[in-house]
Amino acid sequence: MSDIQNIKHKVFLFDATRCIDCRACMIACSVENKIEMNKTRIWVSGVGLTGEYPNLDRATMVYHCMHCEAPDCLSACPVGAYSKRADGPVLYDPSKCIGCRYCMNACPFGVPHFDYDKGIIQGAFIDKCTMCPQRIDAGLEPACVATCPTDALMFGERADLIKEAHDRIAAHPGRYINHVYGETENGGTSYLILSHVPFSELGLPDLGSTPVRNVSEAVMELTIPFALAWGAVLTGTAVGVHQFNQRKERLAEAEAKEKSEETK
Amino acid sequence: MKMEININPRLRLSPLVWILLTLMGIALVVALIRYIDGIGAISNLSYSYPWGFWISFDLFTGVAIGSGAFVMAAIVYIFELREFQPLLRPSVLTGFLGYIMVVIALLVDLGHPERIWYMMIHMNGTSVLLEIGICVMSYLTVLAIEFSPVLFEGLKWQRAAHTMHKYIMPFVILGVVLSTLHQSSLGSLLLIQPAKLYPLWWTPILPVLFFISAVSIGLAMIIFESTLSARYFHRGLEIHLLAKLARAIPIVLAIYLIVRFAQLAMQGDLQYLFNSGLMSILFWTEIMVGALLPLVLFSFKQVRQSANGLLAGAVILLAGMILNRFDVSWFAVRHPDPLTFIPSLMAFNAHYIPSLPELSISVGIFSAGILAFGLAAKYLPLFEKDEGHQPTGPR
Repeated sequence: MSDIQNIKHKVFLFDATRCIDCRACMIACSVENKIEMNKTRIWVSGVGLTGEYPNLDRATMVYHCMHCEAPDCLSACPVGAYSKRADGPVLYDPSKCIGCRYCMNACPFGVPHFDYDKGIIQGAFIDKCTMCPQRIDAGLEPACVATCPTDALMFGERADLIKEAHDRIAAHPGRYINHVYGETENGGTSYLILSHVPFSELGLPDLGSTPVRNVSEAVMELTIPFALAWGAVLTGTAVGVHQFNQRKERLAEAEAKEKSEETK
Repeated sequence: MKMEININPRLRLSPLVWILLTLMGIALVVALIRYIDGIGAISNLSYSYPWGFWISFDLFTGVAIGSGAFVMAAIVYIFELREFQPLLRPSVLTGFLGYIMVVIALLVDLGHPERIWYMMIHMNGTSVLLEIGICVMSYLTVLAIEFSPVLFEGLKWQRAAHTMHKYIMPFVILGVVLSTLHQSSLGSLLLIQPAKLYPLWWTPILPVLFFISAVSIGLAMIIFESTLSARYFHRGLEIHLLAKLARAIPIVLAIYLIVRFAQLAMQGDLQYLFNSGLMSILFWTEIMVGALLPLVLFSFKQVRQSANGLLAGAVILLAGMILNRFDVSWFAVRHPDPLTFIPSLMAFNAHYIPSLPELSISVGIFSAGILAFGLAAKYLPLFEKDEGHQPTGPR
């Protein structure tokens, strides 16, 4: 937990109550990052209208990469195509990718997506939100944040935005669910979410503060010691069985000899 | 008018061979389309279902049914139970061909098949998939070495065959270690999906369960292929050997059931056993068919000592255990569907049904495997007893 509190870099804060579903963030992202027309790195999903007239309500969720502190994609990738920058962004290097799509399985949020429409010559790669590192390096906010007309998306130091989120909940306890999603989920993420409807309705998985990747990494650490020990056990067994069989053979031979001498 | 067609007798093939060749041809064409237009052109894989039928069938099932090779190698070489020698070669060949089929299927499934060797230069030590990749590549080499004496004998290179026999022990041990690692690691692949794999299947000891069930699948595969080979290649059936192997199956399955249910109880997941709808049905089907029924069947002497009983028991076990592999890698995995803009599709209810071209790839590769086994049975000393070349133990 203390690690989660000590994360010191910039993060996103998304407030579902402020989002008006205009999708300007998607356009800004696609322009900034030169994304093809039929693809997107940000996707917006609504849970539709709820309630009865005149008390209607609706909720919209803007999905980015969560830029986890302990990224599961990074842990799962066999060829190390993923990296985590000290200042937050989880980045993907297409020049290493073999296209196995294990990162898509590993990500609990279903973020990385794949070029199913590209053959071997065009090259099919994974794509995902990068937190616009080119803009961060130039001292700017990510394109989606800069363009958001209602400040539903904000960008800033993690500690500041967590405080801001809790202040908003405290100021309007009736409006918000009393939880900042991403503060501890999956070991802490760099995309914090405030909502007025349950987070499961926004399609967010129910995750603990232990990163999803911990179990498989613990098992992987056992692999080489186990392989050596198992190899030693098998070698010992093989040698033991062989010597036991040889001794049995020798004894049988000696017995047979004795018998044949006796009969003589 | 009657046409006189003269076909060179060498080119006359049985209908079965023609069917297999046709299926292989279809798969080849479909694969070409995939390489030109992308995976989406031939499959129903999606953002929500990055892995589908190919992974469940070709990788999970293919590797599982190749386990006969390491089980048999351990029995004959490590435990020196030489009487089982006649069963060794066919099972090593099945394993060898099975793993080649796995690799071919992966070359279709991978986005960048030409980069498969990147696994050897860009290693990420925390990735379970890396371990499987390295193990499968290495084990394929070991299987080639284990199988090489058969090839050398077929070519009448007696000295080469003899040399291979002499130095085979280290490779056998390496093969068993590699098999243990990757058979269990296939289960570990799912460890990173606790939020996606249904709790009846997700457990930290998935690798242990996968290894135990792989041993039972290996034993069943040896029985399966021996009884079928006896039927189609007209060779004697070593029924007394198979009966002895079959005696081990109830023990392995009992261990499997105990570990599986003990883990569910300790994890506190017993609550899901009966009230999870389709998931409960899948769970109980795989437990009944894959473990309980074969456990009971192979406990009867009459079943173990009849060719039909052995075959039936093996087929039932294989069906249930293959269902287990499909459950773990596909049926029991719930994927989020964030890229769908339609509301309410978010709640873990994305669907996937494999497309026909997708299936045809697997069918074509499988046909090639059957054909290769048939050719080997015909032209290589696969079933001959090699009394002149008893395996030599470690010295």
